Amino acid sequence: MKNSKDKILTLSFIGFLCTFFVINLCVKDQDVSVSERRKLQQFPNVTLSTITDGSAKDEFEDYTVDQFAFRDFFRRIKANINYKVFGMLDNNGVFIKDDYIFKTDYPTKTKSVLDFTKKIQSYASSFSENNHVYYAIIPDKNYYLNTDLFLNLDYDYMYDTVTSSFDKAGYDYIELRDVLKLEDYYKTDTHWKQENLAGVVDRIGSVMNLGASSDYQAVEGGDFYGVYYGQAALNLKPDKITYLTNEIINDATVSYLEDTKQNQVYIPENLTSLDSYNVYLDGPSSLITITNPHNTSGKELIVYRDSFGSSLTPLLIESYSKITVLDTRYITSSIYQNYLEFTNQDVLFLYSTMTLNNSDILKN
Amino acid sequence: MLFSSITFLFYFLPILLIVYFIVPSKFKNLVLLVFSLIFYAYGEPIYVLILLLSCLVNFVAGLLIEKFPSKGKLILVLTIVYNVGQLVYFKYTDFFIANLNNIFNLSVPLLRIVMPIGISFFTFQTLSYVIDVYRKDVEASHNFLNFATYVSLFPQLVAGPIVRYKTVEEELKKREITWSGVAKGLFRFAIGLGKKVLIANLAGELVTNLTGLANGSVVASILTAVAFTLQIYFDFSGYSDMAIGLGMVFGFHFKKNFNYPFTATSITDFWRRWHMSLSSFFRDYVYIPLGGSRVSWIKWLRNILIVWFLTGFWHGAAWNFIVWGLFFAVLLILEKKVYGKYLDKCGVFRYIYTIFFVVISFVIFQANSLGDAFYNLKSIFGFNGLPFINQETIYYLRSYGVLLIVAILGSTPLLKNLVNKIKEKQGTGLKVMNIVQPALCLVLLVVVTAYLIDSSFNPFLYFRF
Repeated sequence: MKNSKDKILTLSFIGFLCTFFVINLCVKDQDVSVSERRKLQQFPNVTLSTITDGSAKDEFEDYTVDQFAFRDFFRRIKANINYKVFGMLDNNGVFIKDDYIFKTDYPTKTKSVLDFTKKIQSYASSFSENNHVYYAIIPDKNYYLNTDLFLNLDYDYMYDTVTSSFDKAGYDYIELRDVLKLEDYYKTDTHWKQENLAGVVDRIGSVMNLGASSDYQAVEGGDFYGVYYGQAALNLKPDKITYLTNEIINDATVSYLEDTKQNQVYIPENLTSLDSYNVYLDGPSSLITITNPHNTSGKELIVYRDSFGSSLTPLLIESYSKITVLDTRYITSSIYQNYLEFTNQDVLFLYSTMTLNNSDILKN
Repeated sequence: MLFSSITFLFYFLPILLIVYFIVPSKFKNLVLLVFSLIFYAYGEPIYVLILLLSCLVNFVAGLLIEKFPSKGKLILVLTIVYNVGQLVYFKYTDFFIANLNNIFNLSVPLLRIVMPIGISFFTFQTLSYVIDVYRKDVEASHNFLNFATYVSLFPQLVAGPIVRYKTVEEELKKREITWSGVAKGLFRFAIGLGKKVLIANLAGELVTNLTGLANGSVVASILTAVAFTLQIYFDFSGYSDMAIGLGMVFGFHFKKNFNYPFTATSITDFWRRWHMSLSSFFRDYVYIPLGGSRVSWIKWLRNILIVWFLTGFWHGAAWNFIVWGLFFAVLLILEKKVYGKYLDKCGVFRYIYTIFFVVISFVIFQANSLGDAFYNLKSIFGFNGLPFINQETIYYLRSYGVLLIVAILGSTPLLKNLVNKIKEKQGTGLKVMNIVQPALCLVLLVVVTAYLIDSSFNPFLYFRF
């Protein structure tokens, strides 16, 4: 009996190692991890110099981990053990509460918040006297965590710092915290849901004196596996993504700095891409111009934004002939000023607290 | 190469196991040597030459000592100078330069020498060999292949335990490989792997999180010290288990390196249980040759201080390691001459006393400098004006509470005693263990693989020594 136990132990152990050795050799390498939304390490370039400088070894180590067969299955095992066996509150900084996936962004980086205010005021230094400047800070969904169990940002400090700085500069503040709630955000993603932004649009409209907006038709875009879905590595339900449209949005044309062709506000093909959220304004882009042929007032808006702005901006187009959308994570002020003349446009700074706490991603 | 890596577990090890078990006995040492050199060269492509040179020098020295006994002392001294010189050059040169610069206000540039992995371990192995040959405790090896296999044997090459030549002398020539031996070895390897990946790495994560806190607290400082103590124990004892387990798989029987050190009843007892291969090395090759305790009081004091200075310095070329060693020297002296005899009568307080000073010692050990160590100690005792506890500390305490409990229980013989009790119940108990052991081994392997695939924290602390 003991001998058979020894044989079973030995053969199962070595069998496990050898099985995965063979599977890993046979299975074709993947370029990207869909669930983690990242490129996977490929087999390294092995030369004498990469061997001696250690880079071939380091890349090979990454390669074996990245290309391991059933990688997502193993990641799920780890996440479950961390949560359910060790009772950890987070796994790689990701935690679940009431079916919502959150990511810890902690601690509050006071320098980053101060730098944010300086960068915004630096952008504003090139505005004309006739530009009317507004700003709104979008609370990330951790703001609506109704518990002290998890580590969270010092939102009061962030809002107070930014508002006191911008009030002095004469910008008009748009408060959004009271018109949003946790349900207005995706469960598996960092972003808010466009179909839940009526309160936000109304609030912006009332502060910026925009007219009432028309009705929208909601178009369902199917399952949405948000950015946290893969990071959580758990068997959770995906979100549903929806985009709002109407005749005005449908007829609006969008042009990009990097691309001369005219596009539409929504790109439904992106619903099947790695990030379905890119359905809105084709995802991250440095400078976008949205032209509304239905509005002939000549009124213009310039939006400085992070990714939250992609889904909100289309809902503002009705009130303007043209909206210029700037994402200063990808473009410097010295470059965009070549394409933009500040005259009498409305200017809206629309950034999330995540950007405030990581403002080094904004270019000067 | 790390044992706790996908590369080792799913590429290196299966190939080696297959080749090793297929080839005839006479080629097994050659297979081990070649794979050991590949193992070493994978991380240190150039320094594999240093390892081979060390093998050659000590092999020849052993032969010369045996052949020319009248010149034995001279050959021994020269070989010790070579071995220690090699260690000093790679490990301590910059430490000496930096200190000379400080003392004499010089600006001699540091050489930034990259230390070959495991040099502290294989140098001590070769030292023990030539000294044992000189003392005629072992016969000199006449087979370079066997000797090089002994020195470079990958299970213990880079992080110990320090295996004496006489421990494996016979097994290098002839060893039996049985199902029972291989199974025991693989099980011990799996346990070590679990200790390293599931406990040490997670405790290390906790240490990293706590040391990076924006707002510290007294409890966070204490928690850091406790978590680091557990990390280093599970890291190093886990590695030793893996090394001993792999040795068994290949037919070698290394001595154990840890014996539940956190259940020690004194610091003297602690050092009989912690890194046993290192403490016995210093006992047999430094302390006893200096006269041990059979000398005058003042010479004994000198001997203790030398041994613990060297023990600390061996761990790293920095003052905090030296202070760490001397800290133990002071405690050992006090135990021997002042309060040791009272400790035995102190019941549970003996355990508290021992673990308290062990944890404090690892605060010194962990620090980047003596200044940091002093600051961290002040934080632990509430002298840095930190709050007693804060929200961040509570978060990490809650998040890692289960892990800490598992780690604390796992550092005691509770589980081992339970398993032994089950085994004692012949029949049902044995049947249960016969099912549980292979299943546990496989489950551990799967879980460890999961953690390795999704992990960003996997250093071996003892690799730097």
